[in-house]
Amino acid sequence: MITPWTLAALLGYVAAAGAFAAGLWSPRERLTSWGTTALALGAGFQAVDLFLGALKAGNMPVVNFAQSLAFLAWVTALAGLVTIVRLRLVLVGAVVAPAVTIALGAACLAAENGDRSFPQALRSAWLPVHVTLAFLGQALFVLAAGVSLLYLLKESRLKARRPLEIPDSRLPSLESLDRINYRLLVWGFVLLSLAIVTGALWAAATWGRFWSWEPVELWSLVLWVLYAALLQSRLAIGVRGRRAARLTIALFAVLLCSYLGVNLLIPGKHGGSFG
Amino acid sequence: MINDTLCIIGLSHHTAPVEVRERLAFSPREVAGALVNLKRSRPAVSEAALLSTCNRVEMVAATADPDLAQAELLSFLAAERKLEQSALRSLHYRLAGRDAVRHLFRVGASLDSMVVGEPQILGQLKAAYAQAVEAGVVGLILHRAFHKTFSVAKLVRKSTAIGAGAVSVSAAAVKLARQIFDSLQDKTIMLLGAGRMAELTARNLARLGVESLVIANRRLERAMELARDLGGTAVTLEHCTPYLKLADVVIGSAAVSEPILTPAELYPVMRERLHRPMFLIDLGVPRNFHRGLNELENVFLYDIDDLGRVAAEALNEREQEAHRAELIVEREVDAFCRWLERLELVPAIKAVRSRIELLRDGELERHRAWLATLAPQERAHVEALTRGLTNKILHQILSELRRLGQEPDKRFALVIAQRLLGASLAPAAAALIAPAAGDDEGGGEPQS
Repeated sequence: MITPWTLAALLGYVAAAGAFAAGLWSPRERLTSWGTTALALGAGFQAVDLFLGALKAGNMPVVNFAQSLAFLAWVTALAGLVTIVRLRLVLVGAVVAPAVTIALGAACLAAENGDRSFPQALRSAWLPVHVTLAFLGQALFVLAAGVSLLYLLKESRLKARRPLEIPDSRLPSLESLDRINYRLLVWGFVLLSLAIVTGALWAAATWGRFWSWEPVELWSLVLWVLYAALLQSRLAIGVRGRRAARLTIALFAVLLCSYLGVNLLIPGKHGGSFG
Repeated sequence: MINDTLCIIGLSHHTAPVEVRERLAFSPREVAGALVNLKRSRPAVSEAALLSTCNRVEMVAATADPDLAQAELLSFLAAERKLEQSALRSLHYRLAGRDAVRHLFRVGASLDSMVVGEPQILGQLKAAYAQAVEAGVVGLILHRAFHKTFSVAKLVRKSTAIGAGAVSVSAAAVKLARQIFDSLQDKTIMLLGAGRMAELTARNLARLGVESLVIANRRLERAMELARDLGGTAVTLEHCTPYLKLADVVIGSAAVSEPILTPAELYPVMRERLHRPMFLIDLGVPRNFHRGLNELENVFLYDIDDLGRVAAEALNEREQEAHRAELIVEREVDAFCRWLERLELVPAIKAVRSRIELLRDGELERHRAWLATLAPQERAHVEALTRGLTNKILHQILSELRRLGQEPDKRFALVIAQRLLGASLAPAAAALIAPAAGDDEGGGEPQS
């Protein structure tokens, strides 16, 4: 369901994307701080939207694909704001704001009228825990891909010996971008692991078995293995810097494909395909 | 002092050679004593501060008579440093009023520095201000002028990128290192060859604080000498390979005929250090590092021309920023001068007020006997009535006076006030008008 709150949130994200895009190429600091404010406002409006939706439905509003996409946009916006404020990486907004704009925009286009609620059998205390962990993990992977993009931008300028051009001169050092990327990946991986575990426990509680090889489970496992390999390779053979950034983006592409695939192409018992 | 204004005399790298500047320089310990001395012996100077750096010696003063004060400051400076005044005559500059304010702001914002945008000058100005405060020779105008200078400098630094540019090749190298590394605190720097430029660059980097320094040179004695000086390890060039995997920044300046480091040699080293980034700075001519090294993963190679380009880029960038900074300074000069002008009206406003208060007191005094016969309530009523009347008249006059004071020809306002309110205002107003008229010849006052 699209409510005025949804549209207000979308407007906030669009404004943030515009301000960050302008701020990326202009030396004025003010633009990016406007972008941050707009992003925060958008996330605030969407929080209200989600809260009202949850009240109406009586559970988390993540029943169909559109709702799950909107929820993902919200969690990503929040994680982006935390990165901007805590890690002082303002320009990550230039990646996050367009990403959440696209996600929420697509959610609006795909929105179905009429609220469906969760099948009675699936209602459980595990629901919010599992869903929140899973989405937060995905949001951190989105952010990691965004930071990797910024890394590649700055790295290519440094290699081409044009290091002082805007916006790279305003990005933190390559070393800290690489470290932020690593930290996001580690936390995303931890959350993904926890999401898989809580999902298995929830499945055991409702269906009587931990694992049933359905599409989402399978893809989560594949992604888990891939991210584990990426993190391990950094420690073992020093996959860092450019190669790590490229792999992070590649893995994000896999994540995106599997997310869209399991939601739109292969119906299973998971996510947006209960009905 | 009634209408003090700001004046400056000084010598800087623009006007005087270093041989003269070094003879005029004051050590921090001498400054306070000199200022006390100045205040005692030179009556035209009502407030003063002395700024002495390697690029400039300046005296900033508040005075009612800029011409006289400037002459006094120059004679003082010559006497203190035992120089002939005539020797300084062609080497110094004198500024008053608006020009002095602008100069002070520009110095603080590092627009007048030899290396425009360098940050040290602000600290030196703050020290000069503190010394003057300590000597007890700072009053209303210099307090305000210095605080304004500091805030303008901060504003310029915040809203322009003037401090961001690098000028020299070694500064460019340092700047680049900060684009690659978060901090150099945990990094190792390695010198291949110990030339002057390499030494300077190493020094600049080491000033940011580095974990360790390895100096490899063909002549071990030179390496050891430098290692002692900068605090590092000395090795010969032939035995430097084992150290390479520890190095995060490698500065090459050895005299060689062909590159001493090639991709084939560095690749195993990079693998061994788990591809942690490495910054190669090639200051050698002919070049020390093979150009292909830049293609390696997480290796960044800059030669002397690349660094020169970065430096030039920064300079270009800074010129634009300096222009924006000048606009900020100009705006703040306007604000400060407006404040100074309002300050000039303060005595006149006080005089008008006291004149009218005096009239009221006189009338009340005249009727004291009659007032004594009234009941306390009625007496209070009469008091209130007269006070109300004077306040209404004062309000009308003073607000007009303040308004006229904002206008270029504020002396007109004073003349009218003087005429209307009679002779008792004359001393204050006359004092105000006379030296201001003298300003015209000095060219210190804005005429716009």
